[in-house]
Amino acid sequence: MAADPYDVLGVKKDASQEEIQKAYRQLAKKLHPDLNPGNEHAEEQFKDVAAAYNLLGDGEKRARYDRGEIDASGAERPQRQFYKDFAEEGSQYTSDAGFADFVDDDILSRIFTRDGRATTVRMRGADAHYRLTLDFLDAINGGNQQITLPDGSILDVRIPPGTHNGQILRLRGKGRPGIGDGPPGDALVQVEVRPHRIFTREGDNIHLDLPISLGEAVLGGRVRVPTPSGPVTMTVPKWSNTGTTLRLKGKGVPRADGSKGDELVSLKIMLPERSDPEVEKFVAQWGGTYDPREAMEA
Amino acid sequence: MEADEFVLHARIDAETLDTWLEAGWLAPRRDEGRTHFSEIDLARAHLINDLNNLGVNDAGVPVILDLVDQLHGVRRVLRELLSAARSGTIG
Repeated sequence: MAADPYDVLGVKKDASQEEIQKAYRQLAKKLHPDLNPGNEHAEEQFKDVAAAYNLLGDGEKRARYDRGEIDASGAERPQRQFYKDFAEEGSQYTSDAGFADFVDDDILSRIFTRDGRATTVRMRGADAHYRLTLDFLDAINGGNQQITLPDGSILDVRIPPGTHNGQILRLRGKGRPGIGDGPPGDALVQVEVRPHRIFTREGDNIHLDLPISLGEAVLGGRVRVPTPSGPVTMTVPKWSNTGTTLRLKGKGVPRADGSKGDELVSLKIMLPERSDPEVEKFVAQWGGTYDPREAMEA
Repeated sequence: MEADEFVLHARIDAETLDTWLEAGWLAPRRDEGRTHFSEIDLARAHLINDLNNLGVNDAGVPVILDLVDQLHGVRRVLRELLSAARSGTIG
């Protein structure tokens, strides 16, 4: 004899339809085989709950049951298969999103590739992450670098000119191997650039403090200036002051489009290390009245 | 089975079926312009019906279906792992 549907749902005989629905939903959440695929007793219990709700959830059927016109065994017990009976086998609905980040794991790869299963699973390999520290000029000028991987193999990395600190270089297909005949992942190389002794970088421009002599500052002249692509000659105009910034067009950081930023040269007047009586005598004779601190007076 | 038989088994009307197909909740096999529903499509349709009875609205259904599919994917891998571990092919 079938159990009393009111007992199955755990409601009183005079429960309202809302109470019956609420009781059903609470039980179904816990017992639905597709929402609780690991609970092997859930399916039988859920079928009882579903049958009871089928009878009591419909006000008309419930009234007939209460009048004794139909009994609980007449309640339809769902003859059906549940989604979980098919879903694990692999189908158009199968999703690897719940574990795709684990697939570079050695054990999982072996499972996927053993005894011909590779044909059923095809998955892109995971990305591999590396770090590479570059000298300032190697990053600006670009070139080829190598990373030695933990397993002793060597990864060739092409550094594009103008690479900046923190940039991530993607090497297509150089990551972990794919599963089945899936393509390999990418290698992602994060670049760290060491600071330079004399150059600093701001965006595409290079900044340099250039010491000049008193004579060069007063009379002007041609001076050699280091740039990332080698020294160049620059004209210092007559009467240049400390802090004067000169722009060397196109001597900065290469850009992706082939153009280049500028080098900004900030002049800094340097007196000779040792005192020179000639200079002292001359300056004493000069006796100028210029007060560079005039603007600071209150 | 074809659509008219499917709606009977799934206890939905043709219009509902169209909506579900459009939303991608069901993705039956198609060849040569004909749609073939299989047991898994039917079981999935029952699950969607149950979700509706549980009070899940149309916005919630695809979220749950996606998580259920992910859960089954994970269960499948776990099962493979356990059987591989028992048979000693890994470790």
